[in-house]
Amino acid sequence: MFPFSTLLFLWFLSMFRNRCCHPTVVLRIRIRRTSNYNYKELRRAMAFLLESPQVLTACGMVEFMAVIIPMAIALELQASMLKVQFFGMVYSYDPMLCHVVLKLYLSFYDAFDGQEVEIARRLMLISKEAQSFLVFRLLALHWLLGLNQLVMSGKGDKKKKPMAFDLMGLSFYPNVFDPLALKALKLDLLALCMESLKSKSDSEMGDSVEKVFEDGIVSVSAYKWLPPRSTETAVAFRAFHKFLIGGSSHFDTDPSTTTAIMESTIFHSLQLVPVIVAFVDRLLGCQKHCWLGERLLQTFDENLLPKVVMDYKLASCFPLFDRIAENDTIPPSRLLELLIKFMVFLVEKHGPDTGLKSWSKGSKVLGVCRTMLMHHHSSRLFLRLSRLLAFTCLYFPDLEVRDNARIYLRMLICVPGKKLRDMLNLGDQLLGISPSPLSSSIFNIQSPRTSNNIKKSRNISSYVHLDRVVPLLVKQSWSLSLSTLGVDSNKPGYLEGIRDSESPVEEREIDGSAEIHIPETETINQPQEPLRVMDSKISEILGTLRRYFSSIPDYRHMPGIKVRISCTLRFESEPFNREWGVDSSASGLDRVGALPAIYATVLNFSSSAPYGSLPSYHIPFLLGEPPRNDYASHQQVPLDIVLVENGNGEEESFRAPVMIELEPREPTPGLIDVSIVTNAENGHIVRARLHSIPIGIEDMFLMATVPSDIPKEVIPGYYSDLFSALWEACGSSSNTGRETFLLKGGKGVAAISGTQSVKLLEVPATSLIRATERYLAPFVVSVIGEPLVNVVKDGGIIRDIIWKDVASDSSLVDTTSVASFDRGPLHLTYFDDEDERDSVVSTSKRKMGCFLILIFLPPRFHLLFQMEVCDVSTLVRIRTDHWPCLAYIDDYLEALFLA
Amino acid sequence: MSGSGGRGGGGCSIRAIWILNSLDAVVFSRRFPVVEKRWRTACRSENEKVTENSLSYSVFSLFPSDSELAAAFVERKQREGSARGFGVRVSQSSVGSDSWVDDPITRHIIGLYINKEEEGDNNLLWPLILHIKGNYCILVLPLLEPRHVKAYARLCQRSDCGNAVGADESLSSLLLDLPSITGAFMVAHAIGDIVAGDAVEPEVLVSASPSVGGLLDSLTGSIGISGISSRAKPVAAPVASSIPSSAAVTGAVAVDAPKIGSRPLDKDSLRTFISSSMPFGTPLDLSYSNISAIKVNGFSSSDLPPADLKQPAWKPYLYKGKQRMLFTIHETVHAAMYDRDEIPDNISVSGQINCRAELEGLPDVSFPLTGLNTAHVEVLSFHPCVQVSEHGADKQAVMFSPPLGNFILLRYQARCGHGPPIKGFYQLSMVSEDKGAFLFKLRLMEGYKSPLTMEFCTVSMPFPRRRVVSFDGTPSIGTVSTTEHSVEWKIVSGGRGLSGKSIEATFPGTVNFAPWQTQRLPSSRSFLGSIADEDSDVETENSNNMVNMEEFIMEKMINNLPPVDLEEPFCWQAYNYAKVSFKIAGASLSGMSVDPKSVSIYPAVKAPAEFSTQVTSGDYILWNTLGKCPSAAAEKV
Repeated sequence: MFPFSTLLFLWFLSMFRNRCCHPTVVLRIRIRRTSNYNYKELRRAMAFLLESPQVLTACGMVEFMAVIIPMAIALELQASMLKVQFFGMVYSYDPMLCHVVLKLYLSFYDAFDGQEVEIARRLMLISKEAQSFLVFRLLALHWLLGLNQLVMSGKGDKKKKPMAFDLMGLSFYPNVFDPLALKALKLDLLALCMESLKSKSDSEMGDSVEKVFEDGIVSVSAYKWLPPRSTETAVAFRAFHKFLIGGSSHFDTDPSTTTAIMESTIFHSLQLVPVIVAFVDRLLGCQKHCWLGERLLQTFDENLLPKVVMDYKLASCFPLFDRIAENDTIPPSRLLELLIKFMVFLVEKHGPDTGLKSWSKGSKVLGVCRTMLMHHHSSRLFLRLSRLLAFTCLYFPDLEVRDNARIYLRMLICVPGKKLRDMLNLGDQLLGISPSPLSSSIFNIQSPRTSNNIKKSRNISSYVHLDRVVPLLVKQSWSLSLSTLGVDSNKPGYLEGIRDSESPVEEREIDGSAEIHIPETETINQPQEPLRVMDSKISEILGTLRRYFSSIPDYRHMPGIKVRISCTLRFESEPFNREWGVDSSASGLDRVGALPAIYATVLNFSSSAPYGSLPSYHIPFLLGEPPRNDYASHQQVPLDIVLVENGNGEEESFRAPVMIELEPREPTPGLIDVSIVTNAENGHIVRARLHSIPIGIEDMFLMATVPSDIPKEVIPGYYSDLFSALWEACGSSSNTGRETFLLKGGKGVAAISGTQSVKLLEVPATSLIRATERYLAPFVVSVIGEPLVNVVKDGGIIRDIIWKDVASDSSLVDTTSVASFDRGPLHLTYFDDEDERDSVVSTSKRKMGCFLILIFLPPRFHLLFQMEVCDVSTLVRIRTDHWPCLAYIDDYLEALFLA
Repeated sequence: MSGSGGRGGGGCSIRAIWILNSLDAVVFSRRFPVVEKRWRTACRSENEKVTENSLSYSVFSLFPSDSELAAAFVERKQREGSARGFGVRVSQSSVGSDSWVDDPITRHIIGLYINKEEEGDNNLLWPLILHIKGNYCILVLPLLEPRHVKAYARLCQRSDCGNAVGADESLSSLLLDLPSITGAFMVAHAIGDIVAGDAVEPEVLVSASPSVGGLLDSLTGSIGISGISSRAKPVAAPVASSIPSSAAVTGAVAVDAPKIGSRPLDKDSLRTFISSSMPFGTPLDLSYSNISAIKVNGFSSSDLPPADLKQPAWKPYLYKGKQRMLFTIHETVHAAMYDRDEIPDNISVSGQINCRAELEGLPDVSFPLTGLNTAHVEVLSFHPCVQVSEHGADKQAVMFSPPLGNFILLRYQARCGHGPPIKGFYQLSMVSEDKGAFLFKLRLMEGYKSPLTMEFCTVSMPFPRRRVVSFDGTPSIGTVSTTEHSVEWKIVSGGRGLSGKSIEATFPGTVNFAPWQTQRLPSSRSFLGSIADEDSDVETENSNNMVNMEEFIMEKMINNLPPVDLEEPFCWQAYNYAKVSFKIAGASLSGMSVDPKSVSIYPAVKAPAEFSTQVTSGDYILWNTLGKCPSAAAEKV
């Protein structure tokens, strides 16, 4: 009676179950304890049960075996007895009975020696039974895989063949009507067969693996033309994966078979690109198999790229290109060439209806370029990428693409590779998206993280420095601010600098017929001018001056004369990192990589002084200075030497040159306030004020302009004449005082209103000459007096000027009246000590000569020095048409010559 | 295999059973406290071990409530795209999901993450056997050892690109180690049959009456209640009704598709079945007919077997009455007919011998199976009652102690011994977007001699994605009708079959479709959806450069084809084909037969043996010769 027999059996079972520990252990203990008699009884009971397997249902058999097996082991029963009794169940169509046999096999695999093939064949055949439920067919294949695995992993002894796949391997080809799930598992088994085959034979297997793969995949070949989301595609790629990684475990060093598979036709369809990309991603994401992913990409690079057809459809390949670009094991040249061709194609095909298309495709190309910038060394890319970007900047029809290309080109050129990569990576992190090839918005705008921390910003000036390249001689601590004089509305002419010629309105009215009316204008103007006594000399001077002034631009109507102040920007790494939390420890090996950097720095300048509009200055990239001690030790020089102003070349790379351009309305010293806006690597926007830059009067010193029609060789003469003319005009007894001179452009006029002054410098001639040569050499227009000429000529620094003996220049002697200097009352005021005075006087009488120095002060003023050089002192006669500057000149001269 | 005989892994016990309806609500659940207690004990000792090894996580030992389970099931359904899941790793697969394991069987053995408030989140409940029958999802949770659950958890959490075949820790070795999973599948299927109400016995044909009743009939017959048929005859119910693989019709999902409407759940019979077939959670006998027979009849003293005989589990009652034996061979023919040089046609026969032995006592029956080689029989699987001796090359003696009622004595796979019953070709060519010209040229029963008789033969051209408006053409033989999505051509029908001669049938014609409308897919169905997400830039430049009209239409058609389930052999809708249905009587196509004269019974009794055959078509497909067709590499033996 079946239920009772089973229940009886269950009781038998529960005897062990209630023990809550391993039955085998229980049995072993019990058997040891029991007498021989009990042992025999147990064996007899076993024999009864084993003889009557048919009293059990399939379920009962499973339970029975679960108990019998440990018992049989404990009783050391002949396993062959069990085998004979139960092996036939493997031919049952009841999956539970088959499984029981497998369990038996697993416990007593020695007794089943030689029957592995039978078991394996049986399992394979179960999977072919179309009548069975799919899940049991799947289970059969899984059991087969599991068995093989156990055998392979050495649970059995080593001699055993891995389920003898070689005998039946090829019968795992899927059938047309096999459900896809079954096809997938059969393909797994094929892959396994190939592997077990490979492990014994060698060379020619590569071909056959590929063949087997190709044949196996036929059953899901619809992946080639079905939409990429189809199940067939999923199964095909799953099989591909298994073949790849199955093949890899034995062929880490020689991936020839792998390559053979990779080159198979699976990849020749454009529509599969998203699937392929997902597949590659999967491999790349795996530590063990990412080399396969790389290999796959390399294969694409080598074999696929040359074959692509150049048309708009190429865009569907871009996700793949992105992966290739990401991978630094693949030389980017091929891809770049392709992209260049594609860009050319886009430019050529551009027409009225392709605007959006061009934009989208162009953006995608740039997206790939960006990926390359992120993952390759710039040097590898530089040549071709810069070509591509330059081409795009120049010819691409879409403005945005052009702009972006320009940005990338600029970054490629300016920012060192490591930093550039960090920067681009950071952009991705901030956006919180991986570089998605499908998103059309590659150029997302970063959401800036503006720092509101005022304290932080305030501290910045202590470690971000903007310094003048040439320090000022005079540490100017004050400046004469004319607006405080309270004469702002009614400025005197000399302050105004330039005023309009008196009748601009009329001038404009008659603009159309200038030729005729200009004389009229002059006649209208004339009555307002004083009657002048014009001798030939004065008219000559006026001629010179008119010609000269007409070459000075009128800043009100055209770009004025600019003064450029060279500065350098630098910042200290350590405090910067501390404040802005940039992780500098990221790459300790690379020194440059460890240093922080700032990007897209903008320096804005402002000043209360009349310097016109100050353009801001842009610095794309700047590295921080290495910490002092690190830097010092690296340089192997003591600290104090490093601090010396002009560092060596290495240091220069941590400094960015900055040029401040002033367009002074008035030559006056002043302060330029500097504010900085920059980006730290972590995306912080840093805004702060830096220390102001002092502007001294010497910054205003410019060479006088030379009209363009003056030949180069007569320029020294021109300067000399100009000096004389201006000297004359600025003299107190000038006849030109009320003369006005038209400036360039013809709208503004200037008048000269001269002032003069003297300054005695008690310095030896040698040091004066040296200082002059050093600081004022460009402005020297003439040297007079033989001793001085000789000295200066020997120095060789001052060149291309007019050299004169004293005697030869009568006019100058006249006007300068060198002799009159001796009567100067200054001596009396300065020196009370008779002896000393005597000595001074005596020595001063040994004159060497004269420097004539002409300095232009923008926008249109002049400073003239006539330095009468004696052995121990020098008298400087100063004339200028801008009296306020005298206030500074005094200090300047003292600093220049006395310091 | 030291641990194989362990507490949980060796036997088969069921912790719980749930049945969910189409709204994902639990409509039936049953848990077995005895088994649950064993599970808790095992967990406790395992978790103690864990603390020693300082491993951080422990196995989820608690039992989910119905609502928790339903919630977890819904969550998985959303995560995995469908109730079954993706099955293979796709781009949407997330770590920890079943599809991450990348194995199709995870569509049948699923894991759920139960969110218990007091236990924290994500407690893995595995393995749940998922069997979908009708509108119901049946979940069976077998008992196994906690270490197995941990092993699976590791599998679906692994970070690499996936398992190589034959890697150390794999789902395969787990499944091999766990007969309880196999057993749970049997339980699930048994319950599924009860839920769906189609727990039919195999059909046995007799020459006199079309079919003979099953166990209950024989019982009632033997007990003497005459005139009452305890069970409706399966009216023309094909053998295939319990066989999933042959039920696939024009791409309908064989397993998932509800075959029957919403039939109310017969909870009483379910409870009865569960309590008697698996008392305390351990399955004893999953045969519904046995269980219900015992329940109906009970046992009386007259049922006691002779003392010297061991009564097998499959025969709870002895038969009394007129003795006879009936054998019926059922064969289903699957064919892929290509009519192409490069692809050979593929015909296979899956057959079974159904048997009914009305014999008194417990006799042994034996007969030889001959002609296995000529029939190209590949696979033979037997009923547990058959004692299988060694396989001969060409001969196989079958000896068995028959159970009561109808049973499948053996199953086999064979190739077609005769030529294909229907040969020829089918060509369909789209002459315009909405009009197709087709041509059939078929030869039926070529080389078939009497007594092989074709009872009917119908060819249908399914167009599941087009609406048939009209057709034009006359076949050389038979009649034609259309439905909304197909054209049916009845070649042989009615009472008189086709016997002893072969005929040729041609059918040229045209078929007109309603204009093509692009159907948008419900996105939830998409399989690889997001990676294939429409890249708006992919150009469809089909204005002029599409040379081939046909390709153009085809491309349009397949562009939005939904991915098929892994249970399908391929995407049916992507192809044009004609499906042949037929029924042949008289002999098997494989050549398999039972000689009634050679059946011997021991102890000898005089019992006549009858033998009949029935051959039906399964997937008998004529692929459009002018279109694409699925194929597979020829099997090499």
